[in-house]
Amino acid sequence: MKPQHDTALAAALWAQEDKLKPCVHCGFCLPACPTYTRLGDENDSPRGRLYLMGAVVEGRLSPDSDAFQTHIDRCLGCRACEPVCPSGVEYGVLLEAARESIFRARKTPAMVGMLLAVFSSRRWTSWSMRLARVVRGLGMAGRAARLMPANRFFHPIRFGLAMLDASRERQFPVASPSGFAAPDGSADGSAGDGSSEAGLPDAGSSDDPSSDGAARWREGSRGRVAILRGCVQAGLFARVNDATERVLRANGYEVVEVSGQGCCGALHTHAGDAAEARELARANVQILGSAQVDFIAVNAAGCGAALKEYGHLLEADEEYKQTAADLAASTRDISELLTGDTLQAGDSLRVGAPLPARVTYDAACHLCHAQGLREEPRVLLEAIPELVVLPLQDEEECCGGAGIYGVTHAELGGQIGADKVSAVLATGAEIVATGNPGCMMQIGAGLLLEGSDVIACHPVELLDESYRRAGFYDGP
Amino acid sequence: MENILPEPLTKELGDRLRGVVGDSWVIVDADRLLAYESDGLTAYRRTPRAVVLPRTTDEVSRVLSILSQEGVPVVPRGAGTGLSGGALADGDAVVVGTARMTDMLALDPANRLARVQPGMINVDLTKAAEPFGLYYAPDPSSQSACTLGGNIAENSGGPHCLKYGVTSRYVTGLTVVTYDGKIVEMGGFGRESGGYDLLGVFVGSEGCFGIATEIEVRLLPKPEGVRTLLAIFDRLGDAGSAVTEIMAEGLLPAALEIIDGPTIRAVEASVFAAGFPTDAEAALVVEFDGIEAGLEADVERAVARCREAGAREVRTADSEEERLALWQGRKKAFGAMGQIASDLLVQDATVPRSQLTDVLERISEIGVRHDLTIANVFHAGDGNLHPNLLFDRSDPEEVARVERASTEIMAVCVEAGGTITGEHGVGLDKRRYMSLVHGPDELDAMRRIKAVFDPLGRMNPGKVLPDAPDSAGAAT
Ligand SMILES: Cc1cc2nc3c(=O)[nH]c(=O)nc-3n(C[C@H](O)[C@H](O)[C@H](O)COP(=O)(O)OP(=O)(O)OC[C@H]3O[C@@H](n4cnc5c(N)ncnc54)[C@H](O)[C@@H]3O)c2cc1C
Ligand code: SF4
Ligand code: SF4
Repeated sequence: MKPQHDTALAAALWAQEDKLKPCVHCGFCLPACPTYTRLGDENDSPRGRLYLMGAVVEGRLSPDSDAFQTHIDRCLGCRACEPVCPSGVEYGVLLEAARESIFRARKTPAMVGMLLAVFSSRRWTSWSMRLARVVRGLGMAGRAARLMPANRFFHPIRFGLAMLDASRERQFPVASPSGFAAPDGSADGSAGDGSSEAGLPDAGSSDDPSSDGAARWREGSRGRVAILRGCVQAGLFARVNDATERVLRANGYEVVEVSGQGCCGALHTHAGDAAEARELARANVQILGSAQVDFIAVNAAGCGAALKEYGHLLEADEEYKQTAADLAASTRDISELLTGDTLQAGDSLRVGAPLPARVTYDAACHLCHAQGLREEPRVLLEAIPELVVLPLQDEEECCGGAGIYGVTHAELGGQIGADKVSAVLATGAEIVATGNPGCMMQIGAGLLLEGSDVIACHPVELLDESYRRAGFYDGP
Repeated sequence: MENILPEPLTKELGDRLRGVVGDSWVIVDADRLLAYESDGLTAYRRTPRAVVLPRTTDEVSRVLSILSQEGVPVVPRGAGTGLSGGALADGDAVVVGTARMTDMLALDPANRLARVQPGMINVDLTKAAEPFGLYYAPDPSSQSACTLGGNIAENSGGPHCLKYGVTSRYVTGLTVVTYDGKIVEMGGFGRESGGYDLLGVFVGSEGCFGIATEIEVRLLPKPEGVRTLLAIFDRLGDAGSAVTEIMAEGLLPAALEIIDGPTIRAVEASVFAAGFPTDAEAALVVEFDGIEAGLEADVERAVARCREAGAREVRTADSEEERLALWQGRKKAFGAMGQIASDLLVQDATVPRSQLTDVLERISEIGVRHDLTIANVFHAGDGNLHPNLLFDRSDPEEVARVERASTEIMAVCVEAGGTITGEHGVGLDKRRYMSLVHGPDELDAMRRIKAVFDPLGRMNPGKVLPDAPDSAGAAT
């Protein structure tokens, strides 16, 4: 049955043939898939995509075919199909293999190729991020995006600018805590000098009611942590990295700086460039693996999921596989690390000052589906006094961000993004918190283009603000 | 059983169909038709000639007019979770799918009625009715994925149909498009007319009479109380006796389900693990619902019968989570088997309850004789058996053994006074067994009824009825 042609192309899929077998074609995954529920074509469903992969393995379909490439490309990689599958089909792993086959079969589209090249090089990443910050700093990106016509031609630039603008630091619309009116009705959301709120009374709701409280959170008492700085995170969301660091210290962790970190390789894996992804992974395993820390803390869900899969990615590499697996085992999402095993605020997570605002939580796919972290980010938010967490309809559905999906699949990505934006707006929240930079930008851009003031941020930024108000960061 | 390769649609015909439903919703590319080769029963593969995905009743009608003018046979398809090959199309036929027809048309809590498009997922109807304290009672184990259109066509049942009855009891109105494109109304609110009960005839017609494009169903108020208990047995036969005893006692549980040892082990290895002991040979799930008063007494009597029958352990679900976990485990059992075998053939026969223990023993003996693993998970209260034959399609010798065992199982069930299908329908798979349970006159009557709706025999051809004795092969 196996074909003579395409052998080299299909090799990546063949290697995963055993992982295709458990699919019994029951169809339970269909309603979970954002592309199937919107398009209705079974080729755009998880079962259909697995069937196409199976057909490639059986030699009935070429990885070079338009059908295979279109429908695999159209997959968001959100992995919503995994937790609903009774047979435990590892769709994510299979998708990577399918993408690798495609990567070998065709010339990578110019835009994707350029992006991958940029992220492969630390120097290029740093320069492009610098450029992005300059554009963002001009303060025109958002306005320009809103002025541009929403047609096919302008879409990539328009949406790109909107995403950039959405990464900008904004002030949280926090009402003044009971009885204390802030001068402008909002709180100062900027990091750094927190003196204006430092004197706010803790209203008894922050922690340390008992005398042993402060000691419990003494820096270094809970272990050593290195923060994965990330590319986009370091480039455009340095404030989230800073917040992560402060919050970790305030919770009793010692944070060590590990320089020389590179891209985690998630973008490359998702684009099918497994060879480059492995190269990047090896570099990180070397650098982070020798940092002698207890945990690697990650605040970007996509990167966290990628790090946790390093063991699998480098399983064929005798030299690296053990250290890669060790690194994967010590990787934690920031919400996971902070809430610990108990998932109890006040127990493993320190409670700060009130933050009277309304927030809604969007579950990033790579947190809830890829890492199985559903409760942790919510516990983190609910631990903030007076912060009202409003339920989001279909909170676990992909926002359509999926790397650069919004740019490569303008129409479908736009549709999926628009549904997320409407769901966010329907909650009446002023803030939407989500644990992945791509999702913050995707949802933020959508909101911006809708003319909404709702802010997209990382949950840890809110916790940080609450700590700042509690005076946790004031000098000794 | 050969897969006839499809003859492509002419460009002209394709264009006419695209003119009705839009370019993206007519699939003609051979590579893209692969995903439509099978339904939930992967033992068969039939590649359709094309797939058309209309959005409205009007579009369905126009599509069928065009296809009938050209004499092209039509096969309706919902979610493709069917287990009798009913939604498969030979190469000369076009699949008309309802995947885009998912709207709620009207929800009328006061009259406890809902009118929906046929592509709506069964569980989505219950979700929509929930805020009004209502639900849709028929709950096939596939309810998270199968469509109401498919349910109507198969007259589907489910665990709770023991007390509440199957689909036909809930359908109050239908809009149907027949092969020639005519739109026919059957029943419907305020249209309770005299005359023949066309609704009753259409429900269960397996897509052979026309396509249901609007469905009106009755909803039920949610029961006041629910009690679920789990009894664990070391012998499958003992669980069967417990079922017979519980029913003989005059109790009417809402559900009585048995999961045997091999199935327990598959479920416990899946994400839907429900805490069934893996060394047991049978687990019996008994559920009572209704008004609170009296529930406890029923539970006590059922517990006593289970213990007498030899249960080694009987426990009740203490919380709603525990109850839902038990049901998840039960409902995802078929899918979970994908972890222990790459292919499954599920049988679906109903036997008189009194024969249950005996028939189970004979099935197990057939398994031993043909050296096959047979996993049983079934609606015991209805005597509706689902023996799953596990195999690997790449082993032709094993496939042959499966065929033989399957035929023998069917014969045992019929001999015990049973039927060849409980709820999955006849479709393609059980057509050859029809003459085991129906005489020539009955079959003839069925043929004549079909001819009323579909005189040319082009609606889902080759399904349900064996070829008429005087026809030369192809006719239905
Ligand atoms: C894991 C699993 C568990 C299952 N459990 C149960 C169970 O407990 N009880 C049960 O009864 N079944 C069960 N089934 C079988 C199956 O889910 C049902 O038969 C279901 O009703 C099929 O719905 P579908 O939308 O998938 O239809 P499809 O498989 O797409 O089609 C089934 C048949 O319906 C016809 N059809 C579909 N839509 C229409 C329409 N709008 N108008 C006319 N004809 C139409 C098709 O032509 C075909 O003949 C199970 C299946 C699986 C995979
Ligand atoms: S739910 Fe799992 S087994 Fe079922 S069709 Fe989807 S991937 Fe296959
Ligand atoms: S990863 Fe997401 S988009 Fe891709 S098949 Fe699974 S559910 Fe669909």
